[in-house]
Amino acid sequence: MKLTQRRFINEDLAALIETAPATADAIDAEQRRSFSVRLRSVPTTQTRRIDAWLVEHAGHGVRPFSWRPSTARRLIGTAAAQRLQGQPQRVTDVVRDVIDEYMVRAISGQARFGSLGHWLSGLAPATLGLVVAEATNWCHQLLESQAIVGAGATLCAADTYYNVNAAQTTLRGRRDMTVVTPSQRVVVRVRHGVPGKSAGAGLRTDLVIDALGHPDGISAARFIGVWPDAGLVLSVDGTMDNLRAGARAIVRTAVVQRREILTAAA
Amino acid sequence: MTISTATPLSLAARLRGTPATRPARDTVTAPGLRAQLEDVVAGCGLHPSTPLTLRSGLLRSSVVPLESSPMARLRGLLVTTALSLLIHDQPLEDPFEDPMAAWCSTQGDTTLLTAFAAADADVQARLQADVRSHVSVLRDALGAFPSSWRPQTAVRSQVLLSGGALVLRDDIDLMVGSVTDRFAALSLLDITTAPLGDAVEHTLRYHALVQTLRSGVVPLRVAIFSTATADCLIREVDTELLQRAVRDLAAFVGTLAVAA
Repeated sequence: MKLTQRRFINEDLAALIETAPATADAIDAEQRRSFSVRLRSVPTTQTRRIDAWLVEHAGHGVRPFSWRPSTARRLIGTAAAQRLQGQPQRVTDVVRDVIDEYMVRAISGQARFGSLGHWLSGLAPATLGLVVAEATNWCHQLLESQAIVGAGATLCAADTYYNVNAAQTTLRGRRDMTVVTPSQRVVVRVRHGVPGKSAGAGLRTDLVIDALGHPDGISAARFIGVWPDAGLVLSVDGTMDNLRAGARAIVRTAVVQRREILTAAA
Repeated sequence: MTISTATPLSLAARLRGTPATRPARDTVTAPGLRAQLEDVVAGCGLHPSTPLTLRSGLLRSSVVPLESSPMARLRGLLVTTALSLLIHDQPLEDPFEDPMAAWCSTQGDTTLLTAFAAADADVQARLQADVRSHVSVLRDALGAFPSSWRPQTAVRSQVLLSGGALVLRDDIDLMVGSVTDRFAALSLLDITTAPLGDAVEHTLRYHALVQTLRSGVVPLRVAIFSTATADCLIREVDTELLQRAVRDLAAFVGTLAVAA
């Protein structure tokens, strides 16, 4: 299982995309069933959510999620970046429009309690200003990353979600851009900070969730993780070895999560 | 080098300069700098198992910090938060209360907040007056940063060299421009609440070097603005400046290696 490291510059990314394998492996119905059985064997009383971040932290010590400007920025900033494709508008104005829409949904009763819209509608103007700042920063970073990846990069409207049948498990695969050619599909994910020792496991997790979310189970030819803060790029290929490793990491995370819940309850 | 006091030009205008005179984008210098630094790392015997992490503040460790109390740190953080709000068109009704409310919403760690709450009324009032004054200076000097310049605030960088044996960390308060332009367009601004001293030259060179290594593109210019005195120091980034930054770093790492 190869993990390729490159610099986050046009030339390196173009080469990574160009040299992506022409064919990618696929997850068939039997493998989906087998994966579901493995996850079902790790019992849970409530719906569990697993993503690459949790896998990278080996399912340990996860703080309960709370909305903060830094946790809200990706949702708002990505929506703003989508609207800015080819539209010469002020980023801050678009970000404010997106926030307004979230708040309108919350006020009109269309958003559940605890959602982003509910949180935003209760903020003081200064805190809302910081949300705008964080989302605008993310939006600029995403657009800059898109420009570095190249003209073929298309922003993704949403992450990949996959519900594992009868296992009360929702998988969330992070993705920010795709580069689609007639023969292959390359997925790009943008992360802040520096890739840690478990970054490869995180990428393989996103790779397998992306494949599970594909109607035919076809994996991306290459899954690229971009860390602009460190100027680094890591990538994994859509091989069966990588898909299996990603699936195993998800099951292991579910086991650790279960063990932590039992320990806390004891 | 240009040191000016309260000139009529805004920081935005000074960072932008004259677009027609910008040099072409330089992508060939960064690999050479990286190779030079990796030679330094090898020469000093640093290893990824015991990485050395550097920040711009460490390079000027010979200079005694003016203030390093929790209140001084809080002042710096609030001024930086105010910068984020001002850059993204958030009007500040109160230059202390608004940044404080915004900053509190981002914090999991309440150490500084607890220190502020525990301080006596006199210290609290002094901090409030201090922050209001610094933010006022910043607001007057800032100018307008159009969206097309892609302004990003509180940009963190972490560059790993020699497989992580040397880690260069940096925080840039404001970064404008893009690394994908045909011409050099990236400008970096550091805001400090202390007066500008001799050591700021080191800081500017460090910012330019880390940004070059991170993005692979040489920035256009780098600046530092003091909200204490309204002084601004701006340097054009060129090969000579980056080579001096490498020498600064090599000297510092060499000193540490000898001391060890």
